[in-house]
Amino acid sequence: MLRTDEILSTIEMLHAEHLDVRAVTLALNVEDCAAPSVDLLCRKLRNKILSRASRLVEVCDRVGAKYGIPVINKRIAISPVATLLAGHGQNAAIQVAKTLDTVASEIGVDFVGGFTALVHKGITPADAVVIQSLPEVLSQTQRVCASVNVASRHAGINMDAVHLMGHTILKIAQATADRHGFGCAKLVVFANIPEDNPFMAGAYMGPGEPEAAVNIGVSGPGVVCSALKRRIAMDKNLTLGDLAEEIKITSFRVTRVGELIGREVAAELGVAFGIVDLSLAPTPTVGDSVGEILKTLGISKIGAPGSTAAIAMLTDAVKKGGLFASSSVGGLSGAFIPVCEDAALAEAAGAGHLVLEKLEAMTAVCSVGLDMILLPGDTPPETIAALIADEMAIGVINDKTTACRLIPVPGAKAGDWVHFGGLFGAAPVMEVRNAGASMQFVHFGGRIPAPLQSLKN
Amino acid sequence: MVFRFPHSFVINVVADDRPGIVAAVSNAIEQLGGNIDACSQTVLAGYFTLIMIASFPEPLPPAVIAERIREADTSGRGYDVVVRPTLAPEQFVPRPECDRFVITAFGKDQPGIVRRFSQYLAGKDINIVDLYGDHSGDEFVLIGQLEIPKFWDIRMLQADLEQMGQELGFTVKLQHENIFVATNQLRLYGSPPGQSGHASHRRDFIDD
Repeated sequence: MLRTDEILSTIEMLHAEHLDVRAVTLALNVEDCAAPSVDLLCRKLRNKILSRASRLVEVCDRVGAKYGIPVINKRIAISPVATLLAGHGQNAAIQVAKTLDTVASEIGVDFVGGFTALVHKGITPADAVVIQSLPEVLSQTQRVCASVNVASRHAGINMDAVHLMGHTILKIAQATADRHGFGCAKLVVFANIPEDNPFMAGAYMGPGEPEAAVNIGVSGPGVVCSALKRRIAMDKNLTLGDLAEEIKITSFRVTRVGELIGREVAAELGVAFGIVDLSLAPTPTVGDSVGEILKTLGISKIGAPGSTAAIAMLTDAVKKGGLFASSSVGGLSGAFIPVCEDAALAEAAGAGHLVLEKLEAMTAVCSVGLDMILLPGDTPPETIAALIADEMAIGVINDKTTACRLIPVPGAKAGDWVHFGGLFGAAPVMEVRNAGASMQFVHFGGRIPAPLQSLKN
Repeated sequence: MVFRFPHSFVINVVADDRPGIVAAVSNAIEQLGGNIDACSQTVLAGYFTLIMIASFPEPLPPAVIAERIREADTSGRGYDVVVRPTLAPEQFVPRPECDRFVITAFGKDQPGIVRRFSQYLAGKDINIVDLYGDHSGDEFVLIGQLEIPKFWDIRMLQADLEQMGQELGFTVKLQHENIFVATNQLRLYGSPPGQSGHASHRRDFIDD
């Protein structure tokens, strides 16, 4: 029999602190949809997604209701579209993207990820088609999300691809200039892209995965923040070790929610249960913020010295709690710091407390990278590429996933505020110091070799 | 349920709480040659209640057992005792296949809260297997652990209960028990699918 205090503490977490399942992502292998004619390819793709995923939203809602936990976002991730597009051209890429957009809308999912190219060692003609079509794809579709892996531990950093992405990101921003460059929010540039990530925009189905799998993203920065505040209010003599323990326990509980829902959704859909990704993914809602957690940990101005140590402790404790809760932890599993989507981080950036360089340092010890960062519209493509290269280097050298979601806002200067609305929030355009001073480095191109795996001091 | 001896009884004791009640009751059962096979007690607002399954090697009239338990009280304050022979498994009211859910309701206390919710549940053949209600600050908190027949659509029950809660000024949630197990205990699931607490109780009788 359950104890009353157990029931009450769960009720508080779910209803007072608004814990939810952030994303249920159905990953689908679509490689069997390849066809010589693009019409046939699109028809097969549409039929496969409809046959596998048409019940996704209904099942998520039913299972969520049974446990009293809303599943906020239902999504689909497919195997890299570059594989499907081998032998096809840019028009085919756009037709495929539009097919994905339409079918996603029909089955009621908010995003479909996997408009992906893996180019960490080299760019195939199909990869080039995918990358070159991105400005059109991301400006002409609503729900298609793209990702490009430009670096890996084993291959190093493909600087030609990084350079190309610098130019591509600017083109996407210009193609969506009427929406402040919003198209760039649907593109993630990765090092060591995870094969089972349920979070958008970077979700795709990697090689080695089954035919179909349900991957779950649970979040809950608000729950962690409330738990810390409660603990601090009860006990004045806490150490950081005690606070790390509190984060770990809360993460355990949050992960369990994801595993319970994920296993049941997968069973109902008749597909494999993949992983739970326990990531503290903020939303612009007040209180649902990783920045707030840093403040609760005693960093009164986010970005101040100590911020990197605080977020390192937070990320590590989150991972430890999650790993004990589930044997199927995967994806990114850490703390996200997307400036635009986190009200406290955006405020700190606006006040000048949080600068690009400090964010970069923080990403060395947390998930996932320079995420939802607004840049001045006139930032040179080489500088965007160099920002990407720095972030990729952190991932490759530290053997972790890092990523960039950079948005050069057309016509905007450092300090201007941009409002995307909804989940994407609002933030100030950040200052890029020394813009244009990395030209020669980027123009060398080629590949930065894979790093050594010993002598890691 | 496993009985030590062939003649088993359910024993219920109610008293104002004080040390020595369990000692007195168990002493009386031992004097009669009996064995306590299962027991559970709770104390609420200073009042004690005990439910016990005890078995004896020889047949005994329930009234004799009750009287011996009453006589065992040494405090002079007394207690109420009810003794009934246990039922055979087939004598219990048959139950449909059930899932276990938890209902929680929070709101301003007023007469009729427990009645409204329990009447609704009774009308749906939903069994309450554990019930807790108390004041928490300005609010009354009601928590019931329920066995809900599998043929009901949970979302319909949730809608009914939430509507009733709104009429009473209460926040009501109906959730499967596994969410509470998963977030509080080291295991992910409570009872395996399709096996409710009551059903397992009766199966143990059959095992015996």
